Amino acid sequence: MSLRSDLYDAILNGDAKKAHAATEAALAAGDVPMELIQESMVPAMDEVGRLFECEEYFVPELLLSGRAMKSAMELLKPLLTAAGQKMAVRVIIGTVKGDLHDIGKNIVASMLEGSGFEVIDLGADVSPEMFVAAVEERKPHVVCMSALLTVTMPAMKLTIDALKTAGLRTQVKVLIGGAPVTSQYAKEIGADGYSENASGAVGMVKQLLAAA
Amino acid sequence: MDRRFYLDLAARGLSMPVGTDLVMHEESDPEQVRNDGAALGRVVERAARRWGTPLAIPLMDLRLEKIDLLSLLGVSAAGAETYHFTQPLDDAVLETLCGEQNGPRCPGTRARDTALDLNRSKDGLVPVGMAIGPFSLTTRLMADPITAAAMAGSGMDDAPEVKLLWQCLHISEAAVLRSVRSQISHGARAIMICEPTACTAFISPRQLRAGANLFERMVMEPNLRLKAALEEGGCDLIFHDCGELIDPMVEAFANRLHPVILSLGSSRRLWDDARLVPRDVVLYGNLPTKLFYSDSVMPVEEVVRRTEELVAGMRQCGHPHILGSECDVLFAPQAADAIRMKVDAMLSCVPAHSA
Repeated sequence: MSLRSDLYDAILNGDAKKAHAATEAALAAGDVPMELIQESMVPAMDEVGRLFECEEYFVPELLLSGRAMKSAMELLKPLLTAAGQKMAVRVIIGTVKGDLHDIGKNIVASMLEGSGFEVIDLGADVSPEMFVAAVEERKPHVVCMSALLTVTMPAMKLTIDALKTAGLRTQVKVLIGGAPVTSQYAKEIGADGYSENASGAVGMVKQLLAAA
Repeated sequence: MDRRFYLDLAARGLSMPVGTDLVMHEESDPEQVRNDGAALGRVVERAARRWGTPLAIPLMDLRLEKIDLLSLLGVSAAGAETYHFTQPLDDAVLETLCGEQNGPRCPGTRARDTALDLNRSKDGLVPVGMAIGPFSLTTRLMADPITAAAMAGSGMDDAPEVKLLWQCLHISEAAVLRSVRSQISHGARAIMICEPTACTAFISPRQLRAGANLFERMVMEPNLRLKAALEEGGCDLIFHDCGELIDPMVEAFANRLHPVILSLGSSRRLWDDARLVPRDVVLYGNLPTKLFYSDSVMPVEEVVRRTEELVAGMRQCGHPHILGSECDVLFAPQAADAIRMKVDAMLSCVPAHSA
């Protein structure tokens, strides 16, 4: 139990080295990878999200915790693959066409990954066609799009339209975010959800999937 | 210039957006204007005349210093935006990037300087320069600057990410210094230094409360040296940061950088901030112009309401204030008319002034 709580604390405190060491020790002691994820790592990231919401943590802390989570996942992923286990939810994320800003998108990706989702990051300047191709190929449950500029926001609608045209829109939930984006805009363009920050994005993904 | 010049502008009720981008997009080929000094100079002048301000403010194009910096390594302008350093730099690269002499300059930089040259002799205009701040440029040189900064704030000084962060800050400061010296030599009498990433998204208040000196070392020290370089060139500092800030950050900008104008984002309530800011520093802003594109989120009535609230708040606190935008007002093709209408609505909320 104390190894699991070490892992929990390491992630909560954003200490990648300790998270890696605690994971190694837990595995050596016979812990099961998926249980480590579900019982230590995801609760730690949930707590990180809670601390962010109450402004005790800020974006830098989110990222440090995400980094600690990743360092633990590096050890667990090969074991999960070997055991034929997959993460339950797959998310595709990208910054829309014409927009090269990726910091916000990276933070959301990190938080989603930290919350136990499989995240496929398409990067920045992602065209509607690239989103469509990725949805066809990877069959995600959720598509997240980010835009930092008012001039690139219309690419979100173009992407949603492209998903409709390709007959894929009903297969995925679409979540949008970025500095100029609002919930009203999300409604206007037919997105399923909007979040103003990374922590909220995690909650919104969970909410959308629960309602599906 | 004497700081009283800016205080007088505020006292006379000047209101103006940072809106050169909007005016540039009235041209038939805006992208050509961006790189044509003579055309850009005319646009900058037209923007100033339109809003009745002597401050001839250029485009807030914060890509230029990065493009010029990376051109020293042979990176094309087209590739600069997505180029990031991924590992600590060797001494030869550092030496190349930290030199005092300007290397090749991109068309946008040359146009900005030429526009300053052209407007320096125009009646009633004060040519204003523009540059990204050293910290904000640093954050554009790395793929994940926030984690690196957070690691630095946690004392992980030996980590390669942290070493690269400090190196990027060093070369960014050199690049910004080259930029402002060039603009001063072309006639800039004030320069707007933009540090939008010097904010709580990049620098954790939690770490600052725990005693990390990150903000001091990464933001204040380079900007204080920059301010000294401006003073040496007889050029005034206009400091802009539209990021989310905590009070000690605002205080440090206002009191220690002591700009002639402090421009803040719409997350700040300027009439509350007035208590943090010396009375000889004009506050500028700060309507949420980034949302002007949306009639549902920011209808014109809300623009008017917020403007009236801001004007009333500033009158009540009595702090020198120039009403304006929270950042540059960017043209958005799908909402150009809405944005212009709201800028007009914002400006119409204060009595006309004499420029």
